[in-house]
Amino acid sequence: MTGTLHTLSSTAQRSYWLGRYLERAESTARLVMVNGHLLYDLPKRLPLGWQGLVDITGNRTSFDELYGEPSEKNVTRFLINDSKNSGSLFRSLNNARENVRTLRGIIPRACVESINELYLYAKDSLSEPLSRTRRTQGLSEVQAFVQRIEGFMSANMLHDSHWSFLRMGNFIERADMTSRIIEVGCDHMFDEAADLEPFTDIQWRSVLLSLDAAQSYNQVVQGPVNQNAVLEFLVHNTQLPRSLAYPLNSLRNSVRDLPHHDKALRLINRLRRLVANTDVSTFDISDILAFVDSFQIQLAAIHEMVSKSYFTFNPRKPTRKSSTRKS
Amino acid sequence: MSIDWHSYRTDGFWDELITGSGRARKGAGNLCRVLAGLSDEELAGRRTAAELAIRSMGITFTVYTGEGSGSIDRVWPFDIIPRLIMKKEWDTVSAGLAQRVRALNKFIDDIYHDQHIFGDDVLPREYIEKSKEFREECRGISPPERVWAHVCGSDLVRDADGQMYVLEDNLRVPSGVSYMLENREVMKRVFPELFEDYVIHPVDDYPNQLAACLRSLSPRRSPQIVVLTPGIYNSAYFEHAYLANAMAAQLVEGSDLVVDKADKVYMRTIEGLVPVDVIYRRIDDLYLDPEVFRDDSILGVPGLMRAWRAGNVALANAPGCGVADDKVIYTYVPEIIRYYLSEDPILPNVPSYRCVEKDQRDYVLANLDKLVVKPANESGGYGMLIGPKATKTERDRFARQILANPRNYMAQPMLKLSTAPTLVDASNQAGGNAEARHLDLRPFILSGAKTYVTTGGLTRVALKKGSIVVNSSQGGGSKDTWVVDLDE
Repeated sequence: MTGTLHTLSSTAQRSYWLGRYLERAESTARLVMVNGHLLYDLPKRLPLGWQGLVDITGNRTSFDELYGEPSEKNVTRFLINDSKNSGSLFRSLNNARENVRTLRGIIPRACVESINELYLYAKDSLSEPLSRTRRTQGLSEVQAFVQRIEGFMSANMLHDSHWSFLRMGNFIERADMTSRIIEVGCDHMFDEAADLEPFTDIQWRSVLLSLDAAQSYNQVVQGPVNQNAVLEFLVHNTQLPRSLAYPLNSLRNSVRDLPHHDKALRLINRLRRLVANTDVSTFDISDILAFVDSFQIQLAAIHEMVSKSYFTFNPRKPTRKSSTRKS
Repeated sequence: MSIDWHSYRTDGFWDELITGSGRARKGAGNLCRVLAGLSDEELAGRRTAAELAIRSMGITFTVYTGEGSGSIDRVWPFDIIPRLIMKKEWDTVSAGLAQRVRALNKFIDDIYHDQHIFGDDVLPREYIEKSKEFREECRGISPPERVWAHVCGSDLVRDADGQMYVLEDNLRVPSGVSYMLENREVMKRVFPELFEDYVIHPVDDYPNQLAACLRSLSPRRSPQIVVLTPGIYNSAYFEHAYLANAMAAQLVEGSDLVVDKADKVYMRTIEGLVPVDVIYRRIDDLYLDPEVFRDDSILGVPGLMRAWRAGNVALANAPGCGVADDKVIYTYVPEIIRYYLSEDPILPNVPSYRCVEKDQRDYVLANLDKLVVKPANESGGYGMLIGPKATKTERDRFARQILANPRNYMAQPMLKLSTAPTLVDASNQAGGNAEARHLDLRPFILSGAKTYVTTGGLTRVALKKGSIVVNSSQGGGSKDTWVVDLDE
């Protein structure tokens, strides 16, 4: 034997970020696609439009500097192609590719190649100028590509600690994205409440579609789309993969597979309690925004704790004894 | 028209399978019969099978294509006709290689300690102290077993007279062994029937032998071994990952390791710092430790030399061992063997001229059009003059360089490198689908508590007609190398 095989902090970190970037790429593709569909149902005079998408990705300042006017052309370009936008689809795919390159030997070879192909495909088929139809086709292909890759990884790679990190990246990114979509949904409602009255249902429907949750909503809620029912569903449902509760439960399960996880687990459980104890049925818009705000702060703290516990230099006393858990 | 041995042309070179009169060499008869019995379609089928195997096994080498575009993985070029070496011949070669590396290790150890060899006038002191690969920082250090070059890859060539010569020794970070291992796997898939006809000595013990060699460098019973790679952009990254995997050792980059104030080496893991005992490093000396060597190196580990000097970690190969693959020092290897082992060399060097000695330099300058001139410390064929193929201007320029810095050059006669039949596309020429291509052989020698020589080695073949450049980055490919016993 040549000693025990350990999980290096560096490869753990790259697995985590690979998980985040793949998730981010998929949700960005879905967001742009869904929003495109939805806006055609709304009267032109309404202010929400494409601006909401920029707000969801949290890059308003850089968008305003680079483009100014939130037209369809500008926003889709910013979200899909712009390499200056740290959250753009191309950047996410490129970052996923860069991370997976250094994970050869850990991630199945076919996935390494698929991620590379995905990046090249996106570059080829989503560079401007694009008709709406071609843009939608390209984005839905990107989405399907990511899903194939994640399915393949799940079925073929070792479900070891690298896998746990990859999944944690998925879940943290997903919880973050869901909270942003809820936040921006409310934000626009809040600003334009009076004007939008007849269209609020459409707005909440768009939120569901943005999370691929419309069909599930119909199955579970079996009622009309309205603010409180949608919020209740998106915050608490533990069977919906893109709710707030679901990825936190998964995150808890993944972190339990890792060594010295006590601190991170404590923070995850704290956030799970926050979600479980929040009664959204009595919430007005400002209550929701306050809740989402604390959610995001706590989620960021979980990310920080994961980084501190596993990735950045760790002053824990070195130990000779080999790990009891396979890594 | 498949392969036709009667019209196969060896053109005055020694061919590894076919004699000058067109007959199969001893031991190659069966192989040649099987090959000649395959139709065009069957040959093409076997070749496709090999390509598929190489693809699915993911055997690649990395070519860096420059800023922005990064690097690409190329599929390893492979020829399906194996090269045969009789076991009896190999036993001699193998003993010669072991002898050579044993002497070189004693030589390196002497250079960094008492330097008896200078006092005894075998080798002038200034040749060593002016060598680019001599590391003052290594003086007085005694690595485990007094072994410095744990992994050596020596290049062997066969001249027209059939004699094998050592062309050079690679003692720094020789690569290629993973391709030797993978080539055999590919051949088993492509020509399973031949493995029934022949007693072919296996090669797959290498990773175990390497692991045992590395283990023997640590006093611990179950030492933590890591393979230190410069990273994915290195052309040999495939091999680094392959060997780490085959040895169940950890593949790390410099940034994964840290040396503490007590000069101990650790790797950063999700469980915290884990002590490291043995480092199989695939990074050049000068990038190993920015505290000692190049301070701009981001590939290395600050403090690694401190840890090595303190005996807290073993480095394979040891820093400073490249002093023995200086090409001027190479010319002294026969003397080095006699001096340290009191034995005659089993394997000959290619006859060489030292430009630093006046009479030999005069000969070289007068015969530049017949000689190959090599700089002392380049590898990969860089900075060489191939006299017979060079222009007068190039030869004149080299003459000036030699006169300006004679210590930096040595010269050898142009060898007539041996050939082996290699599958080619066009089938309307002599030999049908097989044509002679030049090749060399790189066996690997491991030195730790024990010495181990690979069975055969990596045969590299120049795929371009007439070319003698076997490097994979420059149109070279490889063949499986069979060391065979004759059932007679």
